[in-house]
Amino acid sequence: MKQVDLITGREFREMLSTATSWLEKSSSDIDALNVFPVPDGDTGTNMLLTMRSSVDEAYIHNSSSVSDAAKAVAQGALMGARGNSGVILSQIWKGMAESLAEKKAINGEDIALALQRAAEVAYKGITNPVEGTILTVVREAAQAGQKCVDGGATDTISVMEAIVESAGESVANTPTLLPVLKEAGVVDAGGQGLYTILEGALRYLRGEAELMQFRKPQMIASNLPQPVRIPQINKEDEVPFGYCTEFMLKGEGFNIEKIRDRLKKEGESLIVVGDTNITRIHIHTMDPGKVIRYATSLGTLHQVSIRNMDEQYQDFLEVQKSRAVEVDTATVAVVSGDGLAEVFTSLGTTAIVPGGQTMNPSIKDILQAVNAVASDKVIILPNNKNIILTAEQVKTLSNKSIEVIPTRTIPQGVAALLAFDYEADFSTNAELMKEATSMVKTIEITRAVRSAQLDGLSIKKKQAIGLLDGELLAAGNTTIDILNKMLAKMDMNQNEIVTIYYGADTKPEEASQVSESIREHYPQLQVEVVKGGQPYYDYIVSIE
Amino acid sequence: MAVKIITDSLSDITSSLAEELGVTVVPLTVLFGHEQYLDRVTITTDEFYSRLINGNIWPTTTQPTPKTFADVYDELLTETDEILVITVSSKLSGTYQSAVGAISMTEKKGRIEVINSEKVAMGLGLIVITTARKANEGASMDDLVKYVKNAINRSHFVVYFDTLTYLAKGGRIGKAKELMGSVLSIKQILTIKDGEMTPLTRKRSLTAGMDYLYQHVQSFQKIGELAVEHTTAQGEADKLADRVKSLAPDKHIYRSTVSPVLGVYGGPGAIAVTVLEAEK
Repeated sequence: MKQVDLITGREFREMLSTATSWLEKSSSDIDALNVFPVPDGDTGTNMLLTMRSSVDEAYIHNSSSVSDAAKAVAQGALMGARGNSGVILSQIWKGMAESLAEKKAINGEDIALALQRAAEVAYKGITNPVEGTILTVVREAAQAGQKCVDGGATDTISVMEAIVESAGESVANTPTLLPVLKEAGVVDAGGQGLYTILEGALRYLRGEAELMQFRKPQMIASNLPQPVRIPQINKEDEVPFGYCTEFMLKGEGFNIEKIRDRLKKEGESLIVVGDTNITRIHIHTMDPGKVIRYATSLGTLHQVSIRNMDEQYQDFLEVQKSRAVEVDTATVAVVSGDGLAEVFTSLGTTAIVPGGQTMNPSIKDILQAVNAVASDKVIILPNNKNIILTAEQVKTLSNKSIEVIPTRTIPQGVAALLAFDYEADFSTNAELMKEATSMVKTIEITRAVRSAQLDGLSIKKKQAIGLLDGELLAAGNTTIDILNKMLAKMDMNQNEIVTIYYGADTKPEEASQVSESIREHYPQLQVEVVKGGQPYYDYIVSIE
Repeated sequence: MAVKIITDSLSDITSSLAEELGVTVVPLTVLFGHEQYLDRVTITTDEFYSRLINGNIWPTTTQPTPKTFADVYDELLTETDEILVITVSSKLSGTYQSAVGAISMTEKKGRIEVINSEKVAMGLGLIVITTARKANEGASMDDLVKYVKNAINRSHFVVYFDTLTYLAKGGRIGKAKELMGSVLSIKQILTIKDGEMTPLTRKRSLTAGMDYLYQHVQSFQKIGELAVEHTTAQGEADKLADRVKSLAPDKHIYRSTVSPVLGVYGGPGAIAVTVLEAEK
């Protein structure tokens, strides 16, 4: 059996890069491990994007010590964390990095210890830790690693094998710990993701990785045309990222096509122009060093310019900030859909972060918005249960005073925004806004992404389903039926206003039929219809 | 000789009450195109709102001229030698400027003090009413000036706008100018702060708005005076008055209609409450 005694910083980096590629292969499968038949299954994608951010950061800090590499990985994970699973993953890396501080190279014992610390930090990061999730998996895997070390093994492969084996068992066991998984007949997606990462790392250590790493770029291009760049598709304003690298290359016998081909995978906005003796190269890359190294092997470099585009973006934001109207307390809301963005803007939201269901923004996305607004006091409205934790993380990363109102739906966000009192101080406003979220009820109508038996309901794939404040309550064939069914279960005499936000794929005529139907049944209600333009949800209905 | 009290029609004091208290109310001018009316003299508030809602001419208002004030001063100086003028916030109307400017234009001699109340509607009205009572009881000019300055801090006016349409049409009303145009139908709650109309919060329904106004009254431990007024919502204003009555059973609730200068922005359905806190 192959033995690896010590892992260096470089190997640590490559191990994670390999593990990330491994995760990428199964990220869509992990997405499909969906408890609710609502389209919020993006755990695999979120974890992948978090890992990508980690690996990118590790390569930027091209250090030979494990300590530095782990620190970079933790930093990258934090900045790129998306969704709950991503945030928990970032906490795992944070714990690892703490434990691996001061280590130039590590052995199996170090890994076992680091994983233990990772589990501790991950549990601490969550207000209400739930067993049968990624948390259980990391804790049990860490215990197995420690047991293996206690048994006398110190080489990394033996320890990692024990860890991976235990993680696999732990994942398989999640449905017995968490009834909701059992009912849905799936294992925990976050746990599965962590297992895949650990397994990928083990494969690297076993030496299978050389081959895998070599293949990595091809895989991005052929197997998964979309997932890697998902955040950019979701963004209304593309955020510049990485380094704008430009230079002139002088030498002999250049093959422009070959250079272009070689650099294509190093970044975006690639331009290679010139002739066989002089070539001008322009690229937006995460790793200018790699580009420069390659170029120097071909000839001499002139007029080299490497600019940090994040800084440029920050400068841009600074300029914008000085122009922006100063407000005492700013509000930042996570919203998707043109119509909903307009609703929030018209109600005085200072900044909108595009995102929502299946499009969880990263900590960095929210942090940038928070830093960009011209106020030291910022209130964040996540408007989705999967974004609350991400928003909470921003608190620790910004010097501004931040309050996160745990709004789980768009109507809760609107209610919170309306409760804002211009004359009240920051903390009073946070209280008022939190209170207001309980004054509104939310019905969401979407389509089941797969057939399921849940909460005593039998649901067929693509059938319309209705959720009341996140709880699955009804299924049916037409949205009008479901809405009426759900309204019938509520005491409508207690309510006054029904606001219907219809989705991007919903016809306005259908929306007005729905509103007519509600008016007919409840003539005392004030019914408003607004084009929300949100994806996935045919209707989001606010009842207050 | 008792000090005579003057205010402007933005105090929302009804003519019968003004007569009873011996207060002189100087009217602002309301203009519908070229048609001129004296606020609450040649046009009633009911007529004004009816034309605002149904007509297609956007009304404007202008402050009384210094000459108007000077004439009033001269007339009152035949009965007294001390006049106290309490005006609407100088940030909402030029009335204060006219009242000050008129002092040097009088023919008769006397002491005239002009105070910018930084308030509007019954926020101003309740100050004027209580000051007039003190004047009638024989309080000195110095005491009255001191009283008014103190009362300004005790006057708490909150108004509910049932629609933002008129605010949007009118285009400006202090800090409230940022509130225009919402995708949803929103009920705006405003107050007057540092002399300017300032947004307080927003509600989605009339009931929630009335609850807020009720809670505003409830938030004061010692209520000195209370007022409930409206633009075109007599019924809702009656209901609110009944509710707040339970908070101060022994108090008389002053009722009135909101003057056009504020009402032109509030539009139909606007309702306001004012609490004048008791003196400490």
